[in-house]
Amino acid sequence: MSTAHDFLLRETRRQFLGRSGTGLGLAALSQLLGSGQAAAAPPAPTSPLQVRPHHPARAKHAIYLFQNGAPTHVDLFDYKPELLKRHGKPLPDSYIGGKRFSTMTGKADGKLMLAPVEPFRQHGQSGAWVSDFLPHTGRIADELCFVKSMHTDAVNHAPAISLMLSGAQIPGRPTLGAWLTYGLGSETDNLPAFAVMTSVSKGTSCGQIFYDFYWGSGFLPSRYQGVKFRGGNEPVLYLSNPAGLPSATRRSMLDDLGALNQLKFEAHGDPEIATRIAQYEMAFRMQTSVPELADLSKEPESVLALYGPSVREPGTFAYNCLMARRLIERGVRCVQVMHAGWDQHNSLTTELYTQCRDTDQPSAGLVIDLKQRGLLDETVVVWGGEFGRTPFIQGNLDDRKRWGRDHHPYAFTSWMAGGGVRPGISYGQTDDLGMNAVHNPVHVHDFQATLLHQMGIHHERLTYRFQGRDFRLTDVHGKVIREILQDS
Amino acid sequence: MLTELQRLLRVWTTVWTTVWIVAGATIALGQNPPSTQAPIRFSREILPLLSDSCFACHGPDEKARKGGLRLDTLTGARGSGKSGKIAVNAGSPDQSEILRRILSSDPDEVMPPPESGKSLKPEQVALLRRWVTQGAPWGRHWAFEPPQRPTIPVVPGVSHPIDALVRSTLASDGLQPAPEAARSTLIRRWSLDLTGLPPTPAEVDAFVADPSPQANERQVDRLLASPRFGERMAWEWMEAARYADSNGYQGDGERTMWPWRDWVTDAFNRNLPYDQFTLWQIAGDRLPGATDEQRLATGFLRNHAINGEGGRIAEENRIDYLFDQTETVATVWLGATFNCTRCHDHKFDPYTQKDYFGLMSFFNQTSVDGSGGNPRTPPLLPVLNRELRTRVDDAQRGLSHFIRDTEALEQKRFHPEAGQSLDQTPLAQDFSAAHREHLKVPAANRDAGRLQKMTTLWRDFDPEYVAVLERQRASRIHWDTVQSQIPQVMVMEDLPKPRTTHQLVRGSYENRGPEVLASLPGHLTPGHRVARPDRLELAQWLVSPTNPLPARVTVNRLWQQFFGVGLVKTSEDFGLQGERPSHPELLDWLAIEFVESGWDVKALVRSIVMSGTYRQSSQSSPENRERDPENRRLSRGPRFRMSSPMIRDMALASAGLLTERLGGTAVNPYQPPGVWEETTFGNKRYTQDHGEALYRRSLYVFWRRIIGPTLFFDVANRQTCTVKTPRTNVPLHALLTLNDTGYVEAARVLAQQVLASESRDSERLVQIFQKILGRRPRPAESQILLEGLRRHRATYAHQPELATQWIRTGEHPTPSSLNPVELAAWTVTTSTVLNLDEALTKE
Repeated sequence: MSTAHDFLLRETRRQFLGRSGTGLGLAALSQLLGSGQAAAAPPAPTSPLQVRPHHPARAKHAIYLFQNGAPTHVDLFDYKPELLKRHGKPLPDSYIGGKRFSTMTGKADGKLMLAPVEPFRQHGQSGAWVSDFLPHTGRIADELCFVKSMHTDAVNHAPAISLMLSGAQIPGRPTLGAWLTYGLGSETDNLPAFAVMTSVSKGTSCGQIFYDFYWGSGFLPSRYQGVKFRGGNEPVLYLSNPAGLPSATRRSMLDDLGALNQLKFEAHGDPEIATRIAQYEMAFRMQTSVPELADLSKEPESVLALYGPSVREPGTFAYNCLMARRLIERGVRCVQVMHAGWDQHNSLTTELYTQCRDTDQPSAGLVIDLKQRGLLDETVVVWGGEFGRTPFIQGNLDDRKRWGRDHHPYAFTSWMAGGGVRPGISYGQTDDLGMNAVHNPVHVHDFQATLLHQMGIHHERLTYRFQGRDFRLTDVHGKVIREILQDS
Repeated sequence: MLTELQRLLRVWTTVWTTVWIVAGATIALGQNPPSTQAPIRFSREILPLLSDSCFACHGPDEKARKGGLRLDTLTGARGSGKSGKIAVNAGSPDQSEILRRILSSDPDEVMPPPESGKSLKPEQVALLRRWVTQGAPWGRHWAFEPPQRPTIPVVPGVSHPIDALVRSTLASDGLQPAPEAARSTLIRRWSLDLTGLPPTPAEVDAFVADPSPQANERQVDRLLASPRFGERMAWEWMEAARYADSNGYQGDGERTMWPWRDWVTDAFNRNLPYDQFTLWQIAGDRLPGATDEQRLATGFLRNHAINGEGGRIAEENRIDYLFDQTETVATVWLGATFNCTRCHDHKFDPYTQKDYFGLMSFFNQTSVDGSGGNPRTPPLLPVLNRELRTRVDDAQRGLSHFIRDTEALEQKRFHPEAGQSLDQTPLAQDFSAAHREHLKVPAANRDAGRLQKMTTLWRDFDPEYVAVLERQRASRIHWDTVQSQIPQVMVMEDLPKPRTTHQLVRGSYENRGPEVLASLPGHLTPGHRVARPDRLELAQWLVSPTNPLPARVTVNRLWQQFFGVGLVKTSEDFGLQGERPSHPELLDWLAIEFVESGWDVKALVRSIVMSGTYRQSSQSSPENRERDPENRRLSRGPRFRMSSPMIRDMALASAGLLTERLGGTAVNPYQPPGVWEETTFGNKRYTQDHGEALYRRSLYVFWRRIIGPTLFFDVANRQTCTVKTPRTNVPLHALLTLNDTGYVEAARVLAQQVLASESRDSERLVQIFQKILGRRPRPAESQILLEGLRRHRATYAHQPELATQWIRTGEHPTPSSLNPVELAAWTVTTSTVLNLDEALTKE
């Protein structure tokens, strides 16, 4: 027995160090450890920064509340009195300047401005403007950092989401969660380090799809890929034993399997066999830890109430927000909660209400819950979509029921909370119509660089060599927005 | 025992997943410190160093070039940049600016600059110095030089050139070759590698007992001749070709490209030479007198995703498709990372952005305009298999028959004169304009809708005519139905007038740069001019003996298939940043043999798997393993976990469930409910198939591009070309083979067979081992499993209702004659064997 163990440790460590020394992948490690330390290092972790991050991390966990479909910044966060004034008037040419829009808009010339659908008011000591669409978010405004000058390169959903989550418009690059788990490793043996949950409001007409490349690991080893947690009885695919197989029998069968594999290992010596033994044991641990994770019976009513009425319903955004907290409590590194249906081409006065109702309270509830538990300091929460929506109307001004806004990559708002991000501030500004990010613009790659920074990662130094090139999340761009960080 | 194991496992958990990364380590062997006199091998020792440390700013990419200095060409390196100081002064290291800057302690001067995060190790600097001292000899990157036939070293007792080339390096690395694998191991290895399926117990017995010196050849030839060979070989090709049964993206419409997949299988089975295989897929439509089959092959290029998302700009889509085609061809035949050249000249390899668009121009000639998400976007080729052909012919015969009936009756009724259409006949004038309008159309040209209208119009006038028309209509509807079932394969076909291609600034479709003529990569075809963008010329170059890359890239991929790692580990990148071959002479020998054999794939495969190197045992002494942890020196036989589709096929075959029918439409086997529905908000509903469709080989499983089959892992995502897939071991994989209905069913059906055929437990176990592992259990293994069996029996005897549930997993019938408790217990035991490391592994 101990032979197998020693052998595995020796092999693993040597191979790991050998590999990191050659620069094929875990390149950062030897540099971070320093050679003397490396020689005396305990069994090497699988991730380059697990031993020592690039700089002290402010956050250990990340929760990305991804709002798929692009929430309308001018109706929710970016208050523009000028837009009210110009309601129904054409968009001034000076704002267009060769911009491209989706084919639904085509040319923006002559488009009519559309005032925010609901009134805005200021909240808290920070005085942040938040629309009446989001009363719960308004109430926690002092916890939030609104980045109002976000902008992106893509005008369509899949490429823009891909850019936001993986740094590239074309599918197939590793996503933020994959980079984080590759860089920082896992703090749990029982659960995947990167978990993903998706939801959509009932009755939403949107056709967006949750492509699995939104949580893919790209060219990183597939163990860094996000694991999809589903609502319902089987949160992870193939987790449950088939009907008629008692748990004790599974355990007993795995004991035999382990013993047989151990015999094989002793006879053959291939360390892959020891890996196999560990793999099956971890599968069993997942079988027990995931149902415990999904058991909400010990959550106090007061906590459940924070997330709103649908929190008990698996598969809702509220349920997923609560699960996000439970996951990071159990050591999961990154949780990506995606909610679709924000694509208000013709539903600003209809489905947008549903979207906000389903997401507003759970998002705020999550932040409050984390804060109450003292987890907000070590968890960075992000809320936002892939682009904004046009300050001008899509549809007919006379047909209020069908008011809409088209895709708008030139300006949008995301918010962050916790994890060392300065609370109660707004950063960056758009022009007086919310068309363009004009002051302190924040590109997607800047946003990503900042997120990584809070997790203790220098975005230019967490790289992976693929096809002869060292790739990173931020491609060849990105600048940390120090102004929004507490420690800068 | 397990408690201790569990304790250890906790320690391992941060460690265990690293083990697979062994594929990442490089060889530290055989690198004795070279003497100062040893001649420097430029392309092996210096070029990779320059590439890695200098080319990003002083390489092929003109726009990124700093200080006007380039170090990737002889002229550049021997010259000087803006500073006017000679970079590499041959023979005079102290007068070489490059060395002065590398050694500088001034942070503003030192190279590479600190912000690049790169630095040279002292031994690398020493190497550069020696190179300059020796006169700075120059040369090209190895992969761009033509392969050289190596001298086969004489190694006593070794006859196969592969073995001579491998073994001659083993000794210098302090390694001993492993002995030949046991015959039962060897036949399982061959069967899995060549057919993707385990050997039957009878096949194992026959081979083990075959005393003939030709036993090995016989086995290999038998397997190569099996139709399963083509199915097995098709998988990797489908991954490279990003084959899927749907478009991808929003809408994700279902396409009918499967005849192309069947063509691939068939091409491997009849051993279509690889040069033809290439010509047909790149330019089958351009071949003189192109056959339907040759045109079908060009579906390779059309397997890319199609984006039907609302609001997408068509031209942006169209350019994306061209990018995909260009990069796929570059990866598969050139091992070139062309995606780097989309926006700028390659940073490391001598490919320019102009090369990229010159190559793209060949594909930029079809009628595809990028609009919409039609999964049957022309150019199309209808493809009929024999069964469909019969049905089409029958339908056509039926329709023709009824058209003739109609025509006969119309002659009788209307008496048209020669050249007169029915609506012009005197009788027709007695009826309405509507009547006449339909009569104007000849009987043979009337579709079902028109026939319907006609029957209504004539109902009150001529019952006999109506009856004839109705029969024609019914047969026309049948004909339509059959026609709609003909798969339409998207293929290549050029527009009559060539389309101009523009270089796109930073690869952006809306930012057109100068016009670019079709061209082949300049550094590989100096002085060559392409007259017009004809894919045939491109294809011919891809299999031209003057092209140093395709044969090497191809034999390397095949080597990777059998050994788990290519001789060049970066099988997707043969450029300067790719890994150098572990056995350069062997790679060249294989490439040259391949071309000289007439690109004979089966002969190449045969040569590899007949080699002693391949036939070695995968077991090795701890010392050998220590020195060669990844087996890159090939001091033992290959041993690695099979791909997930192969594992599934193995399980089905062991249970005797596998359907052996070749080809056809894709199938939907067991999948947990709701997977497609959740992803697509109910727009795509998964309808599981039944019967034999559940047991078809993995390559026939329907591949929805936006959400691939859940029963595979570590497979290509079928979004873009993939020639190397990862091999990881995560708990989710174990959950799949433990809990998926199909795997449990396979265990149960195999248990049913042994219960029916054998009464002694120990003998039943022998049969299970033989079917799954191709060998008998050892006593210690039997003991563990039979003890387990007793526990499972006791459990199910106490809870027979659980037994009944458990043995109903899967749709294959459970014979009522079998005792449910017995079957349930044996199913657990069989599932244990199916999940053994050895079962999941090709050893």
